[in-house]
Amino acid sequence: MRDIESLRLNQTQKLRFEKALEQLDFLSAAANSNACVAVADTILVDHQDGLLKGHGTTDFDGELVATVCGVVERVNKLVYVRTLRARYKPETGDIIVGRVIEVAPKRWRLEINFTQDAVLMLSSITTGEDIQRRQTADDELNMRSIFVENDVVCAEVRGVQHDGSLHLQARSQKYGKLERGQLLTVPPYLVKRRKQHYHYLEQLGIDLILGCNGFIWVGEHIDTKDDMVEDQVAKSEQQNENPGDNFSKETYTSVEIRQNICRAANAVRVLCALGFNITADVIIETVKLSNSVDIHEMLGPEFYVLVAESEVERRRSSKRI
Amino acid sequence: MGSIKRKSLEDPTEESAPHPKQQRENGFAGVDEPVACLHDVSYPEGFVHRSSDKAVAQEESKPAKEFPFTLDPFQSEAIKCLNIGESVMVSAHTSAGKTVVALYAIAMSLKNKQRVIYTSPIKALSNQKYREFKEEFSDVGLMTGDVTIEPNASCLVMTTEVWRSMQYNASDLVKEVAWIIFDEVHYMRDRERGVVWEESIVLAPKKSRFVFLSATVPNAKEFADWVAKVHQQPCHIVYTDYRPTPLQHYIFPSGGDGLYLVVDEKGKFREDSFQKGLNALVPSSEGAKKNEAGKWQKGVVAGRAGEESDIFKMVKMIIQRQYDPVIVFSFSKRECELLAMQMAKLDMNGDDEKVNIETIFWSAMDMLSDDDKKLPQVSNMLPILKRGIGVHHSGLLPILKEVIEILFQEGLIKCLFATETFSIGLNMPAKTVVFSNVRKFDGEKFRWITGGEYIQMSGRAGRRGIDERGICILMVDEKLEPSTAKMMLKGSADCLNSAFHLSYNMLLNQIRHKDSEPENLLRNSFYQFQADRAIPDLEKQAKHLKEEKDSMIIEEEDSLDNYYSLLQQYKSLKKDVRDIICSPRYCLPFLQPGRLVCINCSGDENSPAFSTDDLTTWGVVINFERVKGLSEDDANKKPEDADYTVDILTRCAVTRDEVSKKTMKIIPLKESGEPVVVSLPLSQIYSLSSVRLVIAKDLIPLQNRENTLKKVSEVLSRFSKEGMPLLDPEEDMKVQSSSYRKSVRRIEALENLFDKHEIAKSPLIEQKLKVLHKKKELTARIKQLKRAVRNSSVLAFKDELKARKRVLRRLGYVTDDDVVNVKGQVACNISSADELTLTELMFNGVLKDLKVEEMISLLSCFVWQEKLKDAPKPRDELQLLFTQLQDTAQRVAKVQFECKVQIDVENFANSFRPDIMEAVYAWAKGSKFYEIMEISQVFEGSLIRAIRRLEEVLQQLILAAKSVGETEFEQKLEDAVSKIKRDIVFAASLYL
Repeated sequence: MRDIESLRLNQTQKLRFEKALEQLDFLSAAANSNACVAVADTILVDHQDGLLKGHGTTDFDGELVATVCGVVERVNKLVYVRTLRARYKPETGDIIVGRVIEVAPKRWRLEINFTQDAVLMLSSITTGEDIQRRQTADDELNMRSIFVENDVVCAEVRGVQHDGSLHLQARSQKYGKLERGQLLTVPPYLVKRRKQHYHYLEQLGIDLILGCNGFIWVGEHIDTKDDMVEDQVAKSEQQNENPGDNFSKETYTSVEIRQNICRAANAVRVLCALGFNITADVIIETVKLSNSVDIHEMLGPEFYVLVAESEVERRRSSKRI
Repeated sequence: MGSIKRKSLEDPTEESAPHPKQQRENGFAGVDEPVACLHDVSYPEGFVHRSSDKAVAQEESKPAKEFPFTLDPFQSEAIKCLNIGESVMVSAHTSAGKTVVALYAIAMSLKNKQRVIYTSPIKALSNQKYREFKEEFSDVGLMTGDVTIEPNASCLVMTTEVWRSMQYNASDLVKEVAWIIFDEVHYMRDRERGVVWEESIVLAPKKSRFVFLSATVPNAKEFADWVAKVHQQPCHIVYTDYRPTPLQHYIFPSGGDGLYLVVDEKGKFREDSFQKGLNALVPSSEGAKKNEAGKWQKGVVAGRAGEESDIFKMVKMIIQRQYDPVIVFSFSKRECELLAMQMAKLDMNGDDEKVNIETIFWSAMDMLSDDDKKLPQVSNMLPILKRGIGVHHSGLLPILKEVIEILFQEGLIKCLFATETFSIGLNMPAKTVVFSNVRKFDGEKFRWITGGEYIQMSGRAGRRGIDERGICILMVDEKLEPSTAKMMLKGSADCLNSAFHLSYNMLLNQIRHKDSEPENLLRNSFYQFQADRAIPDLEKQAKHLKEEKDSMIIEEEDSLDNYYSLLQQYKSLKKDVRDIICSPRYCLPFLQPGRLVCINCSGDENSPAFSTDDLTTWGVVINFERVKGLSEDDANKKPEDADYTVDILTRCAVTRDEVSKKTMKIIPLKESGEPVVVSLPLSQIYSLSSVRLVIAKDLIPLQNRENTLKKVSEVLSRFSKEGMPLLDPEEDMKVQSSSYRKSVRRIEALENLFDKHEIAKSPLIEQKLKVLHKKKELTARIKQLKRAVRNSSVLAFKDELKARKRVLRRLGYVTDDDVVNVKGQVACNISSADELTLTELMFNGVLKDLKVEEMISLLSCFVWQEKLKDAPKPRDELQLLFTQLQDTAQRVAKVQFECKVQIDVENFANSFRPDIMEAVYAWAKGSKFYEIMEISQVFEGSLIRAIRRLEEVLQQLILAAKSVGETEFEQKLEDAVSKIKRDIVFAASLYL
């Protein structure tokens, strides 16, 4: 909400905005009755047998004490604290977007807003070759032709290895380097885990990837085929891509698309600043709402208020249903 | 990058010759060669042949491996396919030499610096193969649940389960593996584990190639088509029936004293000699037909007192004729041991061999602690081994099993008693194979050995290059028809059918990964493939039936229909009444010998009579007895519906024909037939009369039986006017049930209706009803077929998938929009035990509370499946835990039931067995192995297997605890692992 304070709202806007926030408070008060705890708060449990103490809790003088700020969650006898506004905590199968920070032997290190850097092994990506073979020294030397520092990469969390490092994999056509778009960073709690994190916004012609780690990619749409035929086509595509003359043509993005990308990106920024959950639907709605204003005006005070009001409307209508 | 395109859609030169699916390239390639093999190729739909220059180039290059012997046609054919870099399915008998193909594939991959994976169904087999490959190529690693050796080697041997989980975990290997060899792929039909193969094959990387090694399966083509479709690559089939050493099949009638050649090496069935053999059969005891249930075992095992048992005679004969080494297959572990014990008098080894055996034995046992060396199984084994006799079954200590395998391979064991498990895997042939039984218990009843099983086991007969021919001996202890024998001895191999089923672990793993869908897996399963294939056929059938139905025209169909449904009601009511009267509670006191009873004689139950009267006849009760569960009566077997059978003397038409079994049909008294005592289930009795006859004591002479029946006829004619006096259900039999009275009243009402119904007076009513009935049946059939078509055209398992997802949502494993929750994350890790029950148990804090030993003991219920008869109950604390487990299981099952998953709540809860709780508790406490063997009556090997699996479960739970951040619990589990992982239970395999 810090961003909001820096906005210069005029008097009417301030009033409208405060009213919207009030209503939002009112709407969520009923829904969210979970106990929020701060560090060192005691978590109330009836000390019956077989209590499972999960993440973010510890035993202190016979009492269960929170070690992080967040919401207490209970699943049967398991008690844990779900953190708010903390770093991203990966789970196997999450889709994330990260930025390459180092090319290391046989692996890339990625910044993914976790407490440590994630590791993407050379062997965990598809290179579009049609031969299954062992990695050679040549491959290692060629790693920079795949990803270099500061590339933005989309991948899936493979899991924590035995040595405690976090491994990623990008073994599907959907994953890989992201180009021609913007990377936005939002607090990870704003992105909820869902079945679908890839979105193709058809009316805008852009791709949207909501990384579970709070990295959001907005970029030009790229066709990916479905699994069965994909391999063959992808292969031929890659072969065509290699020669340099095709390259320049391919990287051209039309002004319209570029504007759309900016609109969507600004929508994410506004939503993030207001602290609303970020989903594809909400982004589309916000972009629609912005049709009356210029792209740069989307970050102006009037639009913030508009978004807040429309969110109130949205929640109210969903509640009624 | 991507210089060679294997299958390119845009290659214009090739477009002109699209190959339709399933085209036969060079089918029957080997026809003119000495030993034929079939070669066929399945192409995926729309497959375009790749330019041929590569194939040529490959063929010219030096083969990756040369063998010191000339290859059989099927081997070279398969290797040709490997050389052009295409997948191949090799289907041949066990001893035919499929390993050659695997070896070549490995050599080829190593040469091309590619990774190759070899998977086999059994850990022990993986160990053996690892050793074999390691000797041949040095760059070999092994990964089973128990051990991991050199996981970075180019050639990895593993169990299929390990391979599957590597694929789920997106291991690096998956990307690098070029060839995947699935050995014994016919395991795919295994009810419990078969699904693992399907998952592994579907999930395998699209660009790798496969080698499938399988026993002979008739539908190898279908399998290859499936692989071709799923992986969009051609898949070759090389099929051969060829046996390097031809087989001769003999029978040995029990009580007889010789062998009778039944099928010669050319595969000709010798009818005359078969009959001769059967005639020599001395039934184990005359007239012992009644207690057939116990007979199979006694026949061979017990023998007659004072006399040499059959098996002894036979083995002696085999040794005399120098047909050794011999493998005797029997179908239970106990029988195996008993048979071996009977050989006590035989000694087949010379002194130097004995010394040899002793050295090998003790050097293998060296790794055991002194206490373990004193285990009865160990110390009892050596003396019989020394005499050249061995036992091999899953109940043995793994280490003993391996020693015995080694001794057998060295030729130091002349006579090996083994169970079916010995018939798969490593090449361990003998000259002779003996089947101690013609029937096998399959969990429900004793059934004949199938042709497929016979083929698999007889595959062990005949050592290549040593014996001219292999010998199979079937010990027969009961009459069997030539057709049955033919089915067994010359039957075709079992089909490879999908045994796909869903599991929660599988679903969760699929849901968890964003780019995979459970639906996708189902769509690509072999099950779906087979179902899709059946659709056109089913539709044709339905159409045919519909035509037939439409051609039937009946007058006054409506009123007839009405009458028909009345009849049906009437019948079902009658049946209700009868069921009440004939329930053992009421009628047993009246089943004294001599009572006249009215019985059903319409023959088979399927052809219904269309009048209000049923076809009945009368008979005399001789005896009744409880059915002991599993016997299979010759006449009218309906074991499911009766706990009691009644022996009734009545007239039967007995037909005996050469081909089929002896059949008996009950017929009315006046017709000509033999007086026979048949045993019928209670439900066959219509009513009991109040008349009792005096019957002769000895009914064995035909004359006596005839006389009794004559008396029956006399009685009948005496009462012909007023009808037989029946026992009144309410007064005499004291039937006091409201439902009885209700039914009787309704029957009366219905009878009135019948009279009023005008159509009943129609003269041709009987025929008309028959036609109508047929029409109804057709309608039902069509409905059924249509349902089948619908079921298979939509996604197989679609409903079950929905139901199971519902369960996961209901229990909070996934959220409403299919995102895996905390509980789901935990259950994802558990694959060696029932994931739902164990996860629930964990989340309810049951495990957390317990002492480590108690927890281990409780978890043992998850891994023990064998049912023990009257095993002692565990002590109270453990029993209490077990009830807790059962409560949880019941709750889980109930939720599943409510979500429409087909499950039997009670059965599910009972599938957890407390039988080894005590033993495992003691083991966790630190007892010696011999001590825990004393408190449990299970086989050593089974217990060891269970504990090993328990360790697997614990490891999975550790991962689970990690994922919820419960460090205390995790520590406790680590503790548990260290407590059970010791000594003989985790002794390393000799093959490593």
